[in-house]
Amino acid sequence: MHLSANAKGDRLSRRVGSALIFLFLILGAVVMLFPIYMGLLNSVKTQSEMLTNILSLPTKFQFKNYASAFEKIHFFRSLWNTIQIAGVGLIGIIVCASLAGYKLSRTKGGLSSALFGLFILSMLIPFHSIMITLVKISNKLSIQGSIYGLGMIYIGLGVSMAIFLYHGFVKSIPRDLDEAAIIDGCGEFKLFYAVIFPLLMPVTATIAILNLLWMWNDFLLPLLILTNSDGYTLLLSTNMLFGQYSNDWSNILSALILAMLPVVIFYLILQKYILNGIAEGAIKG
Amino acid sequence: MSFLRNRKKTLTLLAFVFPALLFYSVFVLAPSIGGGWYSLTDWNGLNPTYKMVGFGNYIEALTDDRFFLDSIWFTLKYVVFMVILSNFFAILLAVLIESRKRSKVWFRTIFFMPNMISLIIGGFMWMFIFTKVLPYIAEHTAFKFLDQSWIGDPKLSFFAIIILSLWSGVGYLMVIYIAALQGVPQQLKEAASIDGANAFQTFRNVTLPMIYPALTIGLFVTLNNSFKVFEAVFALTGGGPGRATQVIALNIFEEAFSMSNRYGYASAKAMILFMIVFIITIVQLWIMKRREVEV
Repeated sequence: MHLSANAKGDRLSRRVGSALIFLFLILGAVVMLFPIYMGLLNSVKTQSEMLTNILSLPTKFQFKNYASAFEKIHFFRSLWNTIQIAGVGLIGIIVCASLAGYKLSRTKGGLSSALFGLFILSMLIPFHSIMITLVKISNKLSIQGSIYGLGMIYIGLGVSMAIFLYHGFVKSIPRDLDEAAIIDGCGEFKLFYAVIFPLLMPVTATIAILNLLWMWNDFLLPLLILTNSDGYTLLLSTNMLFGQYSNDWSNILSALILAMLPVVIFYLILQKYILNGIAEGAIKG
Repeated sequence: MSFLRNRKKTLTLLAFVFPALLFYSVFVLAPSIGGGWYSLTDWNGLNPTYKMVGFGNYIEALTDDRFFLDSIWFTLKYVVFMVILSNFFAILLAVLIESRKRSKVWFRTIFFMPNMISLIIGGFMWMFIFTKVLPYIAEHTAFKFLDQSWIGDPKLSFFAIIILSLWSGVGYLMVIYIAALQGVPQQLKEAASIDGANAFQTFRNVTLPMIYPALTIGLFVTLNNSFKVFEAVFALTGGGPGRATQVIALNIFEEAFSMSNRYGYASAKAMILFMIVFIITIVQLWIMKRREVEV
């Protein structure tokens, strides 16, 4: 009798606890979404309606805010620039790092570990420590202002972490496979791209996600390298707009929503893979 | 014979590593070494000639440059707040979300979402919240305390930057902690609750030691990122009011690219930032690894 009353009390307190947790999480979720919601809501109001009714739904949807922001940040051009930069960087990082990571992991010896150590060491160097000289160098190489040049810089900055992840992953691929392929007459490079590279797919996916997000959202490096507004990324165009129309919030908010749209859509479609990629990258990196 | 085989092996190794090494040398190695060299000179970035000044730049930065010293102090304050708050909230969220059955996917998606948005965009959105939305709420509701100059007051702008950084960064850490929690065997927690431990005791004595490796990563990530904070400040306050929220990275950026043309001097500051980050992360990893072994 006594026991069952106790069990009932237990169940009740667990229910209350669970409801409290749920409430807390809902509250947190509201805080997380609040800026996005406010931005969305006010991006379709006129400037004057925004200032009198910031919290309420718009009386009339002003989609012309979007049309004008669309033009002012040169949405398609900026998007295409961003895609090209990230594309060059991503392909370069994956090709260079998979080659190096595989071979460094397979080769024993002083040279191999020294090279690996050299790549890993730089993961501790903050970007701000090298940015000044990096700008000077890119100026010397006349790639300042070039979106492909920026893509190449991303290759240099991104290979270390990718090599580290590939290096670790290759250890789990049996060496017998290499030897069997060699006996079958595979050359070193054919062995790599026909046999090994397809097996690296899971870690390649992780590396692709991490690097894509990094390059897409990076601000400081493009700011320093892209001197010509024709080459601006989405972020740079948006930042420019903010500088020019800093009080015209209805215009700015629609530009902000436009600029975050690609990455948010990307996230909502692929969120399972992205969250796994982030966890994998963080735990192994 | 073995010499030839070795030579072939070495050449193959170099062929595979060469593309990565090329980009890495030009865009990481060369700027690191160059930065170290210029930090010892009085180069202005333009003149073909410059003088060696030894450690003069370093001494000036660390003794004479009030703005730089203020930025170090401000960054340290920011780091302490961020390391504690972001890990606390990330673990709390991870534990609470993992306890939900059906809603956990939803919550995880929402709490991580801000991390996908660039801090520049997030910074401008929060600026809208701080300068327009909160004063409006203060005016039209009972929450009068919200009517503050969040960006204009040096004390409050510190917290505005912390709020923005937490909003953006907590989801990333949460994902790490969720992954770690999923690795904790369910039986252990059940055993603890059968032995009469309450939820907090189970967390303290069973779960926390099991996710200790993730805590090492979480602290490493927050320490590292917080010392390098730039975008959050750049977008939200621009370092102001005055220079009240200037962080180290912003100070270096302005020294090199907008205020003066003292490249050598800015390089010395950049090296100081590198050394601070390097020493602190090494010490942190060393301490945490030692504790991990004990547990």
